[in-house]
Amino acid sequence: MIDALAYAVVALAGVAVIWGIVTAIANRPPGKAQLLYAAALEIVTVVQSILAAAKIIGGFRPVELATTIGYLIGIVILIPIAWFWANVERNRFSGIVLAVAALAVLAMTLRLLMLWTPAA
Amino acid sequence: MNGVRTEPTGSTRKTNSGAGRVLVAVYGIFALAATARASVQLITKFDEAPLAYLLSALAGLIYIVATITLARGTRASRRLAFVAILIELIGVITVGTLSVVDPEAFPRATVWSIYGIGYGFVPLVLPILGLAWLWHTRPVNP
Repeated sequence: MIDALAYAVVALAGVAVIWGIVTAIANRPPGKAQLLYAAALEIVTVVQSILAAAKIIGGFRPVELATTIGYLIGIVILIPIAWFWANVERNRFSGIVLAVAALAVLAMTLRLLMLWTPAA
Repeated sequence: MNGVRTEPTGSTRKTNSGAGRVLVAVYGIFALAATARASVQLITKFDEAPLAYLLSALAGLIYIVATITLARGTRASRRLAFVAILIELIGVITVGTLSVVDPEAFPRATVWSIYGIGYGFVPLVLPILGLAWLWHTRPVNP
């Protein structure tokens, strides 16, 4: 994990959460900009997982290795599935679906930061 | 109650429509979280707390069933969803209570420990929302 990148993911995901809630309150489905933003969040998340995987392959051993690997894999599948699920039926709830996925990405990144301590 | 609705009933009565899509999304995340967590626990440290980790796996299975059945939204899947969510509610209350009363037997190791405190208590609220949603979308003419 790279701390700066992780905090960037947290910030980007936080904006995605708020954006989703805002369009839901406005009773609109997510627009093109919002969907592209979700895609950008996904790309940054994937980069983060790849870099973390590279560090593990390079010899870094977090305390809970299996859990960390599970998080690194799980975190990248959330946005694509939510994207699909949000677009099947486009209405105000699509924004909430994206917000829920982004919140999960945010929470999982914070958890990854905690997990990223070297094994003694 | 349904007479005042302006939307076509076909689209409002399905568990996978409207707010139901958000419910399915949350269930999906918990299906992933609980299953992944249980898999890691069962593979790496099953001996440490077999009961807690088997309950973890059960929780994951129930979340998977609830996610799929709510997402399908057919009449048959509604029944299965009801059973799964009822077990989920009983599970989170039972495990939650046991983890408070006897923390030695239930370390903070499952999604249901201390009523799901590790997940913002969403595991406690989720089955209640699930049952409420099934009630809200119940068929008018059974």
